[in-house]
Amino acid sequence: MTRPPDFEDLVDADFEPAERERLRRVHDLLVAAGPPPELTPEFEAGPTLAMTLGRSSRRRVQRRGALLAAAVVVLLLAFLAGYIAGNGGNNGLANGRLLKLKGTKAAPAALASLRLQPVDASGNWPMRLSVRGLPKLPPKSYYEVFLVRDGEIYAPCGTFVVKSADSTVSVQLNAPYRLRQGDSWVVTKQQPGVRKAGTAVLKPISA
Amino acid sequence: MELALETPALLRAVPAPEPPADASDAELLVLVAERDRQAFELLYHRYVRSMFGLALRRLRDRQRAEDAVQETFTAVWRSAASYRPERGPAAPWLYAVARNAIVDRMRAKVEPAAEAPELASSEPGPADRAESSYVSWRVHRALEELPEREREVLELAYWSEMSQSEVAEYLHIPLGTVKTRTRSALSRLAVILEGEVE
Repeated sequence: MTRPPDFEDLVDADFEPAERERLRRVHDLLVAAGPPPELTPEFEAGPTLAMTLGRSSRRRVQRRGALLAAAVVVLLLAFLAGYIAGNGGNNGLANGRLLKLKGTKAAPAALASLRLQPVDASGNWPMRLSVRGLPKLPPKSYYEVFLVRDGEIYAPCGTFVVKSADSTVSVQLNAPYRLRQGDSWVVTKQQPGVRKAGTAVLKPISA
Repeated sequence: MELALETPALLRAVPAPEPPADASDAELLVLVAERDRQAFELLYHRYVRSMFGLALRRLRDRQRAEDAVQETFTAVWRSAASYRPERGPAAPWLYAVARNAIVDRMRAKVEPAAEAPELASSEPGPADRAESSYVSWRVHRALEELPEREREVLELAYWSEMSQSEVAEYLHIPLGTVKTRTRSALSRLAVILEGEVE
């Protein structure tokens, strides 16, 4: 739990007592409420009516489909296991896959492309990220690339800084994880000393 | 004499005007009842964080909380017509819809039978929990109404453990500006949360 700020540090003493008390009550409410939850970039971008309503109406169809799919999956698994073993295990994720990202509300002018390079013998997935339009951050802050799996931040893939929003930055990153079909990436703005994923500044265009 | 004039096709094709960004929640709900998608999206952005916070506190599982929020918005879309502005503001109505969706999710969870505890729990009871949930709900919703630059200084001060000087350094603005924005943000919240602070 974070340590709340001291009200006396936040508000100068030159207030009318009634106004000061009113602000103090707001302060107490903020402390009691705690921080707002972090949303995944997709969830925050939401709603999209289709996403909200399509989900529930599709559910019944999905249930029936799931049973059929389960049967097919069982048949395919044996074949797939052999195939993967014989082909280096790239999980069906295409080498050279290009993911385009666009700026969120936090960096609306930003654009980026992330190209996956061939997986190496040890299981590392190198990738090159080219970014333009991200603002320069305060000292010690930085941007971080996160792997997103099943709509959740899954793991970090590297960090970078930019000199100015006008320059294009191209950095080599790496995902030392077994990637899956459907994996995606976001770029976040990180504050010094905070390891948790910060505000998303770039997210996939298709999300 | 009655005239049966058909609306020209050109006029019918004109899309509905966007709801104003400063429309009240009640006005948006009325528009949602008329199947206005833009109003629905505005309402989503205003409430998604507070709804998710509420769901997360009760369900303690991100996936189930996200599902509950989706179900809440589905219910809002379907039942917005049952909201009556003359009976009160929209926030409590939305809170009730969200709470129902969360309770449904909690009931759906199959838990193993637990042995009865020998000591009374020190955790807050249902009434206290409901009140504290509603306060968080209102505060998080109110934060969404602040201008970005004011919300930013509050978030850094309250939840990033930064002093006012550190916030100033981090944002590259004078300390006086941080104090002005903080004071302005607190005043604005006091107005939005009038019922809670009076």
